[in-house]
Amino acid sequence: MADKPKADFSDVTAGSSSTAPAPAPAAPAVRTYTVVRGDTLSKIAKQHYGDANRWKKIFEANTDILKDPDRIFPGQVLKIPDA
Amino acid sequence: MRTHPRFTHLAALLLCCAAVAACKKEEAPPPAPATAPAAPQAAAPAAFAVTSLDLGKQLGPDKKVTESLTVFAAGDTIYASVGSTGASPNVALKARWTYEEDGQLVNESVQTIAPTGPAVTEFHIGKPSGWPPGKYKVVISANDQPVQSKMYEVK
Repeated sequence: MADKPKADFSDVTAGSSSTAPAPAPAAPAVRTYTVVRGDTLSKIAKQHYGDANRWKKIFEANTDILKDPDRIFPGQVLKIPDA
Repeated sequence: MRTHPRFTHLAALLLCCAAVAACKKEEAPPPAPATAPAAPQAAAPAAFAVTSLDLGKQLGPDKKVTESLTVFAAGDTIYASVGSTGASPNVALKARWTYEEDGQLVNESVQTIAPTGPAVTEFHIGKPSGWPPGKYKVVISANDQPVQSKMYEVK
């Protein structure tokens, strides 16, 4: 006796919705970098972005601790924005 | 008449005390009524819980089925309305639909929600070529924990 053929559900369409809000998107993780002796913003930009000219992006993300882009000190923890 | 300096000092001292007492009285908060309930504290939000699962072939604007059914026709779109209470920043509600005649998975859908109170989440499935007759089951899971299930039949 032949087996009964399996039902075919390949054309099933589905959906869903809710009265509840969707979760907030996760905040992007912020990378940090601790300055070591001999670092410059250009060097750090080159290291993280592959482009030394993007030092300004790092400076702008750290104006709370940096007043002068030419003066960074070992031990300072800098936020490195996403490229 | 000459007043004794000791009496003058005493009178001044009493006046000062009375003034200080009066000032303090003004600053003092009004006494709470004896029957007043304790100051309301920020109540912790209730934990998320799925409270109901109803099937139907039509939804109201509140995403609840307009009529709870367990028997459907081959051409029906089937709605599963999931009621929940409580709050959570992230709950993955999953509806797993199976065809009980051969145990086949019909569909699995996930709706991720962040409820802040009572909510209704609906899942629906349709089959343009018509549902094979037989018994079906839908299982609702919250974060992969089965919380509700219901059998239904297509005739």
